[in-house]
Amino acid sequence: MSNCQNPILPRMAFITNIIDETSDTKTFKVEFEGGGKGNFLHEPGQCAMLSIPGVGEAMISITSSPTYKDFLEFTIKRVGRLTNVIHQLEVGDQIGIRGPYGNNFPYKLLEGKDILFIAGGFALAPLRSLINYVLDDEHRKDYGKVDIIYGARSVDDLCFKRELFENWPKRQDTQIYTTIDRAEEGWDGHVAFVPTYLEELQPSPENKYALTCGPPIMIKFVLQNLQKLGYQDDHVITTLEMRMKCGIGKCGRCNIGSKYVCLDGPVFFLDQLKQLPQEY
Amino acid sequence: MKGIEEQIRATSSQLLAAGDVQMVIGYGAGSDNTRTMPVFIKRAEDVGKLVFNPFCVSNLANYLLQWNNFEGKIAIVVKGCDSRSIIRLLQDKQIEREKIIVLGVNCPGQLKSGPAEAKIPVDAVLSEATVDNAGIKLQTSSGPVTFSLEEGLLEKCRQCESSRPVISDYLFGEKGFEADRADLSFNDVAALEDEPLEEKSKYWDKYFERCLRCYACRNSCPACSCRECVFDMVEPDWVAKTVNLSDNTAFHLIRAFHVAGRCTDCGECERVCPAEIPLRVLNRKIIKDIKELFGAPMPGSDLEALPVLSFYSLDDPESQN
Amino acid sequence: MVVYKKITRDNLVQFLQELTKDRILIAPVREHEIVSFSPVADAGQVDFSFQNSFVPPKSWFFPQSEQIFSFRLEEGKYELSTPSLPRGAVLFGVHPCDLKSILALDPVFDGKFDDNYYCDRRKNTIIIGLGCQSVGRNCFCFKVGGGPLESTGADIFLTPAGGDFLAEGLTDQGTDLINKHSRFFSDSSAEQIDKEKREGTDRLLKQPAGLKGDFNLQKVKAFLDANYEIPYWEELSYRCLGCGICTYLCPTCHCFDINDYARSGLEGERIRCWDSCQFKDFTLMAGGHNPRPSKKERVRNRFLHKFKYHEDRYGLFGCVGCGRCVQKCPVNIDPRKIILDLQEVAGNE
Repeated sequence: MSNCQNPILPRMAFITNIIDETSDTKTFKVEFEGGGKGNFLHEPGQCAMLSIPGVGEAMISITSSPTYKDFLEFTIKRVGRLTNVIHQLEVGDQIGIRGPYGNNFPYKLLEGKDILFIAGGFALAPLRSLINYVLDDEHRKDYGKVDIIYGARSVDDLCFKRELFENWPKRQDTQIYTTIDRAEEGWDGHVAFVPTYLEELQPSPENKYALTCGPPIMIKFVLQNLQKLGYQDDHVITTLEMRMKCGIGKCGRCNIGSKYVCLDGPVFFLDQLKQLPQEY
Repeated sequence: MKGIEEQIRATSSQLLAAGDVQMVIGYGAGSDNTRTMPVFIKRAEDVGKLVFNPFCVSNLANYLLQWNNFEGKIAIVVKGCDSRSIIRLLQDKQIEREKIIVLGVNCPGQLKSGPAEAKIPVDAVLSEATVDNAGIKLQTSSGPVTFSLEEGLLEKCRQCESSRPVISDYLFGEKGFEADRADLSFNDVAALEDEPLEEKSKYWDKYFERCLRCYACRNSCPACSCRECVFDMVEPDWVAKTVNLSDNTAFHLIRAFHVAGRCTDCGECERVCPAEIPLRVLNRKIIKDIKELFGAPMPGSDLEALPVLSFYSLDDPESQN
Repeated sequence: MVVYKKITRDNLVQFLQELTKDRILIAPVREHEIVSFSPVADAGQVDFSFQNSFVPPKSWFFPQSEQIFSFRLEEGKYELSTPSLPRGAVLFGVHPCDLKSILALDPVFDGKFDDNYYCDRRKNTIIIGLGCQSVGRNCFCFKVGGGPLESTGADIFLTPAGGDFLAEGLTDQGTDLINKHSRFFSDSSAEQIDKEKREGTDRLLKQPAGLKGDFNLQKVKAFLDANYEIPYWEELSYRCLGCGICTYLCPTCHCFDINDYARSGLEGERIRCWDSCQFKDFTLMAGGHNPRPSKKERVRNRFLHKFKYHEDRYGLFGCVGCGRCVQKCPVNIDPRKIILDLQEVAGNE
């Protein structure tokens, strides 16, 4: 059996940098032996199976933009046994990767359009791959205005602080609206839940797509508010999360109706989502 | 038999109509002549779905665990063997006495579906099945069929301690089936005990090897009342999900010890096992030990008696050492 | 090229014995009252008259537990190695329902991503189908588009005739195998085999009582396409025990779990094993959310998978009518009854 063709056999890669995002979330920069991404070519929004042999495997969204030529990044929250162990890894340690899996954000369709990103907490991670793709020098001209509404429970829970407060605001035609759930000392920014902030900002749906990722309760109210603001279902995009084992449409556990989230998702337009059974 | 069925229906109808219970758990007609299935009747007008015959093999007491948050009272149909499960569930406070009404049946003897179905001519409809010590008689639309107890009776019925329920609020049926040669001796267990160790090991290996770990034995067991089972736990994974002789053996032995003192030999585990593993032998070994070591009766046969493995006495065998 | 031959029972045993020289022979054997597909060294042990094996023959291509890889950690680096490919095999004695089930599994494992473990075995296995000699009380292949002498999916198909067998080489692989061992076979013809199959099917289908009523799977699917929430599923789920019998014995069920086992941090293996959508932890997520939290959703998922989802994805139904779940379900959840019930509900809409 030739290993290179076996889709459920991971390739071992190395961790080359670790950034503490919040108290329970870290971003891991990963490269294959000899440096770079090898032939691992992904598109914004796709995922990969990360694993540690002997511990387990989990589907994680690729948070780095494909425009980063030499490495991949994964932002991982500590939620269980595997992610606990991953959090203990150090630069130079190995981690297994297979993928990329799933569909991607429709970045071609978005060309020439304004884009509204709405994210909560750790779920900025999947959107970040597209944000950095769109804001990349080579692609920026292909897209209209970019607005990012991002919130977290507290300042500590905000991920990607450097990009959020330094890099992104400097980009042309890019507005960042950051908010936290409850006021805290030292924060002079906005205080509101993400759906409420969206309602206050009233971004026009004109020539615009909205992409949203976050906890289910946030998504629920964001979708309601987008509808109130006049966004059409085929202009609203979100991602779904289900338990997965194989990542390639065989192990059977991530189906919603006839769709497998690992193959047909994780990215869905709201009108597609409404066609699916409410079983996610 | 029709009498029992009619009485179950009439009583269920009264209880539901009067609001004395909100659900009746009983047996309904299955997809062929020799099968029944559990039914859950909530309206008096649906009591016609209830049946009773010698193919009501399953122990419905298990469903009381599933419905233990049910708002309202439940009436449940139980045979002699099943009634012991009710007692054990009450003793363990898994169910509340005032929330259930026990519809007891003096059990007419229970039959295996396969052999009986094979006796019934193609396209014939079974109207009645009766069991007595002379044998089994099936009345079918193409005439009567008879065959032997050895061929058709459930093994556990030949080892039945009491066809009469040990607990009931209503009791149906005049007299249950009592086997002439009822075997209460645990000879089956004793025979295996006498085998040399290697033979015993071989005996269990050949069966455990083919276990699929479908967990039907556990899921059908009224004594398996844990909210989260150790075999379902992913973190930590005490027992591997891999199916092999070693992990399968661990599964069955852990389960047998876990239900020790709660197992009433209702036989569901063995009946439901798709791999036909003789699980009753395993559980009966423990019941036999309990009887011999503690002089205790079959678990579930006395509501007032303290469950033997749930209390400590200075006379217990281990106190002597 | 298709060839039409005849083989006596004695010659069939010898033929199979001959095949064991080059290939692993996987065939039905009866052990402790249960028939299973197992590796056979002595072809004399093969059971030719079994009705249905306990576990379906899918387990040859997709074993219940299987190593994905083993690993060693040395000086901070993982060394992964995959198990070696088994040599060529002959899977003998596959009944028509199970033949059809393999065709239903193929597009699952061989899709956008090939599953090497399944596909390698599949490529290296010659399948010899065996027509049924009786139709059991639980059988319903003939109600879901199959039949007791349907040969589709086999490389070689044997139709029982008297005590002997008519043999068709249906694929190049099958025909080559017959030609290579032609001394065991005598000549037959398409006409003779066709006639035997027609008459045999008529004879066999007179046997079963089964459930009365015709199935209209397209009608059931159309109803399921339009009706997701119906009270029927909840009522059905009341009696379901949530065990894995139906899914583990189903010849088209393919769900699996992947788990890692380490003897120490330094070596171990990754294993995949069958899993069941009927188990409550099947879809349970790390954060505690469960998209299919109760038996209602899980029971519905199973039947929709068979009669809708599989069709939606692969263009064929996920039930081949083998009747194993009918036979073994402890609480008589019978897909035949469910189809008839759904047809009735659909008719009343």
